[in-house]
Amino acid sequence: MSEMFIAKGDFPAIIERLMSRYRVYAPVKNGRHYEFAALKEAGAADLGFKNTRMSPKAIFYPQAERMFEYSLAKDDPEVNIVKETPKDFSPQVVLGIRPCDAKAFRLDDANFCSDKFKDPWWAQRRESTTLIGFACNSPSSTCFCTSVNTGPFDTTGLDAMLVDTGDGYALQVITEKGKNVLGILELKPAPAQVAGKVEELKASAEKSVATAFDPPAIAQQGTLDIFNAPIWDEIHFACLNCGTCTFMCPTCWCFDIQDEVQEGTKGDRLRLWDSCMFSLFTFHGSGHNPRSQKVQRVRQRFMHKLKYYQDKYGTGTACVGCGRCVQACPVNIDIRQVGRLMGSGCSCPA
Amino acid sequence: MSEWEPKVITFLCNWCSYGAADLAGVSRFQYPANIRIIRLPCTGRMNPKFILAALRHGADGVWVSGCHPGDCHYIEGNFYARRKFALLKTQLEYTGIIEPGRVHFSWISSAEATIFAEKARKVVEAIKALGPAQHFIKKQAEVA
Amino acid sequence: MQAYTEKIREAAKRLLAEKKVDGVIGFRKGTMPFMNEPFMAKTPEQADLLVWDGNCGINLANYLPKRTDKIAIVAKGCDSRNISIQILENQIKREQLHILGAPCKGMTDKRKIQDELDGKEILQAEEAGDKVKVSGRDFEKTFNRSEYLQENCAICIHRNPVISDEMLGEPVQEQQVERYEDIKQIEAMLPEEKRKHFDELIEPCIRCYACRSACPACYCPTCFVDESKPQWVGKTTDPTDTRTFHFLRAFHVAGRCSDCGACERSCPVGIKVREFTKKLEKEVKELYGYEAGMVQDLRPPLDVYRPDDPEPFL
Ligand code: SF4
Ligand code: SF4
Ligand code: SF4
Ligand code: SF4
Ligand code: FES
Repeated sequence: MSEMFIAKGDFPAIIERLMSRYRVYAPVKNGRHYEFAALKEAGAADLGFKNTRMSPKAIFYPQAERMFEYSLAKDDPEVNIVKETPKDFSPQVVLGIRPCDAKAFRLDDANFCSDKFKDPWWAQRRESTTLIGFACNSPSSTCFCTSVNTGPFDTTGLDAMLVDTGDGYALQVITEKGKNVLGILELKPAPAQVAGKVEELKASAEKSVATAFDPPAIAQQGTLDIFNAPIWDEIHFACLNCGTCTFMCPTCWCFDIQDEVQEGTKGDRLRLWDSCMFSLFTFHGSGHNPRSQKVQRVRQRFMHKLKYYQDKYGTGTACVGCGRCVQACPVNIDIRQVGRLMGSGCSCPA
Repeated sequence: MSEWEPKVITFLCNWCSYGAADLAGVSRFQYPANIRIIRLPCTGRMNPKFILAALRHGADGVWVSGCHPGDCHYIEGNFYARRKFALLKTQLEYTGIIEPGRVHFSWISSAEATIFAEKARKVVEAIKALGPAQHFIKKQAEVA
Repeated sequence: MQAYTEKIREAAKRLLAEKKVDGVIGFRKGTMPFMNEPFMAKTPEQADLLVWDGNCGINLANYLPKRTDKIAIVAKGCDSRNISIQILENQIKREQLHILGAPCKGMTDKRKIQDELDGKEILQAEEAGDKVKVSGRDFEKTFNRSEYLQENCAICIHRNPVISDEMLGEPVQEQQVERYEDIKQIEAMLPEEKRKHFDELIEPCIRCYACRSACPACYCPTCFVDESKPQWVGKTTDPTDTRTFHFLRAFHVAGRCSDCGACERSCPVGIKVREFTKKLEKEVKELYGYEAGMVQDLRPPLDVYRPDDPEPFL
């Protein structure tokens, strides 16, 4: 792993160099919040953020995406032929992504890009994207990455990682992809004392993240024991089933497919984010709904994240501890508390 | 380019205004062909969604007409409708979905064929003056 | 207002012990500063978890529709008006309810306080009377709560509950304020400006429908956003779909909205969705002299008529 260094004053120029070759996404301040956006000018990138309000998943998996198009015009020789919508898969860089979010993409790959199944759009976007992460020197109080198998300096999902050392950024190159992208920048190697500084920052950041719950304790319990435990009655009460948590979450991947027809002659097949919190999500054509009750939907979300995923893939929870759902839930349903209840042998402490 | 003609989706109650349209036709009163009539059992059936759907699918204007208040075939259907229309028209204009003059309402009895033809002309004229509706039409979704 | 906490607990324990109710709906302390979680205490022991302070802005009436048990519920002015509407619309029966009326001095807007802190993270917030002291890693600051109220609370003119079975405190003084300044400003705009204003307002909307889900007046068996035959609202993030959603959501609560602000508070991207509903509130008041839920036996305005109703649309 090679270490390089970028003085803060040089940073905008570095971003510009990247922009000359790649589409560069970076956190941009928008009103009260930060969001990842494709940069139009280097100066818009702002690393003064804790994390973005929405997760960066939309870069690979947009909230609404056209998959296919077709013509319904009788006189069109190509009538009724469904054609894939052309997309831009040119190389891009995501700059400043947090380690938890990058790790989340790894977890999402289980769904979109495994040995068995490949979602063509997710896979191609992943392939053409280089993730240059940004370590968290001062995690938020809602972060609990260290409880769920990642951390503020975790490089698992990254191609390279920046660490803010005060006067500049230490840059660790992690993968070949990262090396190729950063090669064009002709960066200087980091001065000797930087490695020590990074270690220090890492230790203090990791220490500042509180333990939220214990995923192995959840894994060890019987699925039905947790499923049938009395905890859900209390957990679900406040939930509005608004789906905010799922839309913000970097590892919520569920979608709906809809056709839209314009003027009776042209049609689109769209993929749209959906949410297990919505009752329509499981509504059958027959009129039956296996998750017609709020309590079932709330349970599904947490069971999927913290239990089913662990059991199915053996790679830990499908939650990376980014804390977005904790911050955004309008009624303060807190996955950390739910995780504790799920792992506590299911006796309600309250 | 041929001269643009507006499409006006027109919701008429079965018992009065639809009868007026019919009578206007039978009596050979001229009224513009821009209006596309959809028959309602009563203006009480009128739902705000219908207006939005018409605009969304490309209507340049909407006109709703029914029995005079007090003459509703179902006694009070248009009394209820009246409150909805009042709020609907203001809210459509307030939110900028339409400019004033794109959505019209009237009470026309089945005997008032001349009034019907006259109103149809006025509605079409007003909408023509505004030009094609653009804001609320759902074209191909603006998505990734 | 924290003084209510003791009273709520006392009432909850009494009502639960005497088996007068099956549960008491209130709030318990949240895991985050400025947050409480709606909570139903079902045992006298759980009653000790109930709290009350300036972070109870979620409208608890939202948890009532279609319940079949007997419930005690803490209700602010706005909540109580929504309960009246729910009773009128057969969502719950008056006999099922024991209403603990909470005269209200407004709920704190955490977004406004956060705006003063230059991005620093609030780790703790302590409320005492009108003061709220917030602190974080390297700062501490005290605010006057009355200057940082949710916007609907700042202009609320019905702070006292309109129905209750017992009151948690003396009535508070009602405010004399102009409720519609922002609405009038929009009304004065040109059509093109209005369009732009609302398009910008809803631009960040992620169509999660939290605003709908938090609303105590939303209980259609099938919400229009879920209807598929025909589908009235497209499900994409296309501007027309989002405009349709916001228009219809607001229209559905016309004359039934108490301006409780739960919708705005719940929106994860901070859209001022009340700009849609308040206009309808204003119209309903001007045209029909009606304010949602203020009178127990007056059905909502789109459910009734007068033969001489005005016809400004002609
Ligand atoms: S469940 Fe919550 S904390 Fe976990 S990854 Fe999703 S949004 Fe982040
Ligand atoms: S954000 Fe909160 S209220 Fe909304 S669905 Fe998620 S847990 Fe429920
Ligand atoms: S809560 Fe906010 S983001 Fe969600 S649908 Fe309503 S306005 Fe849009
Ligand atoms: S629309 Fe908003 S302000 Fe009105 S009752 Fe519903 S949640 Fe409250
Ligand atoms: S039947 Fe004509 S308006 Fe009711």
